[in-house]
Amino acid sequence: MSISLPTYSRLELPLLGRRERVRAIIATGLRREFRRPAAIVVTAIGAAFTTITSIVLLFFAPLLLPPGQRPDLTFFAVPASNGFVLFFVSLMAAVIGAGLIADDMQSMAFTLYMSRPITQTDYLLAKAAILAPLVAMVTIVPLLLTALVAALLGRVSWTVAVEAMGISLVIGGLLTAFYTAVTLFLSSLTRRKGIAAAGVFAVNFGLTVPAGVLAERIGNASLLYLSPWDDYVAVANVAFGATPSAIDWPAALAVLLGVTVLAAFVTYIRMRAVEVITG
Amino acid sequence: MNGVVEAAAVSKWYGEVLGLNAFTASFGKGITGLVGPNGAGKSTLFKLLIGQLHSDQGKITLLGEDPWNNVSLKRRLGYCPEQNQLYGWLTGQQFVETLLRLDGMPPAKARQEATAALKVVGLSSAAHRPTRGYSRGMRQRAKLAQALAHHPEILILDEPLSGADPAGRVHILRTISDFARDGGHVVMSTHVLYEIERVTNNIVLIHNGKAIAAGDIHAIRALIDEHPHAVRIETSKPRQLAQALARMDHVVSFEFPSADMLLVRTRKPDAFYRELPQIVADTKLEVQGLESPDDSLDAVFRYLVG
Repeated sequence: MSISLPTYSRLELPLLGRRERVRAIIATGLRREFRRPAAIVVTAIGAAFTTITSIVLLFFAPLLLPPGQRPDLTFFAVPASNGFVLFFVSLMAAVIGAGLIADDMQSMAFTLYMSRPITQTDYLLAKAAILAPLVAMVTIVPLLLTALVAALLGRVSWTVAVEAMGISLVIGGLLTAFYTAVTLFLSSLTRRKGIAAAGVFAVNFGLTVPAGVLAERIGNASLLYLSPWDDYVAVANVAFGATPSAIDWPAALAVLLGVTVLAAFVTYIRMRAVEVITG
Repeated sequence: MNGVVEAAAVSKWYGEVLGLNAFTASFGKGITGLVGPNGAGKSTLFKLLIGQLHSDQGKITLLGEDPWNNVSLKRRLGYCPEQNQLYGWLTGQQFVETLLRLDGMPPAKARQEATAALKVVGLSSAAHRPTRGYSRGMRQRAKLAQALAHHPEILILDEPLSGADPAGRVHILRTISDFARDGGHVVMSTHVLYEIERVTNNIVLIHNGKAIAAGDIHAIRALIDEHPHAVRIETSKPRQLAQALARMDHVVSFEFPSADMLLVRTRKPDAFYRELPQIVADTKLEVQGLESPDDSLDAVFRYLVG
């Protein structure tokens, strides 16, 4: 008689790569967002409002441009600096982005994510990939649609429209990257998304409004570099060939890129070192 | 050092609070029960084992590897946390499937394995209901399913029986036993010694972040039997249930902390847990949850540590 010990064999499967695992987090995250009425409403209203106002500006172009001048590439600097973009991008970042990491930390879903063979980098990339397309609904899509409508209505040539679309992708992408990085950074700092959301508004309006007021009162335009929105407008104006704003675009671009990279890097370092304390 | 878990003088601080205090232990193959009262350091040890905490001092290994930020090791372990869940709107099936996709399992295979794992834990009939509607016991089983579904080498289960109803407990314990019988390793924590005893004799006692004893469970049984064991039962009819339980001669007292809660003290917890499901079934009384406050175990620990 022979006795054999039980043997346990692991399931050997051809497992999919990192991209698929990141995609799984993105799919779950997007499904989560599109189940939240607040996220749906803010995205829908934000995209609709910024698009509609940008297109309406097209009809008021004769009033916005020098007499007799037809809309050209420079006109697109106007919808690019549409104030509704600033408002809705803040709102979307606050409503959608602020909870992306904070909620997972609070609900301890992060523990379950991290018990799986994914890295913090995978997790962060996935979260960025959830937020960025939604922010782009306000920062890029309205500009693309405005250029398209302008061409379809014969207000500008297709050559100009296509050029405007290309520039819109780049500058809209810059703004999207900035808000994605900053929002995820703020979300990673706290377990309470309300605090992260307040941080988003603080970064936007807490810098933009005082910077504008002080710059005018003191007569020192360099204070506008503190405002991400003014930095963006400075870059957008030059990109579309419009009249440059009060601050130099290379420095403004450097501020936007620098903050974006720094926020992303600090978030990455922080997530690498984060320890799941409770639960 | 060739244990499944090796911990050598591992310490972990949370600010000024000491989570683990020079914890030293070696867990063998099969099932090991980590027993200790709440706040003893069980969850801290588990977080260290799954690489979500980093030890401040000492060295800890799981399956021979350092767990901190060790992605490949995560493929080999299944973790069942005590409290958290993913997103409540996910159905049980989606919950397990989502986590399997994070393992890199192809969608069709993830679906198949999730279905199989939910069947193993007895949740097939509720697989397509959102987990937010699950009872605590069902949630525990769903978490166990996700821990099992990718066929790991080791299961790390943090209070897997916490809040589970009598039938759920039986199911969970059977699942754990089957997993170990097939050659898997299990480290499970509890503050109820009698639950562990059903599946293993190997225990490690942890108190104030230290391993104070390790080895066979029977040595400590005699000590614990001197202290009545408390069981808190959540039921809509606590007085009727108390009436039914009164026929157990080892039951010492009843208390009614709230309108839907019954606190029973017994001198023979093993007999109590064995007989309870039958009594509940006979009387057709509904039991929503079962929990043991750790006061009896705490008394024993106080005795052990002087």
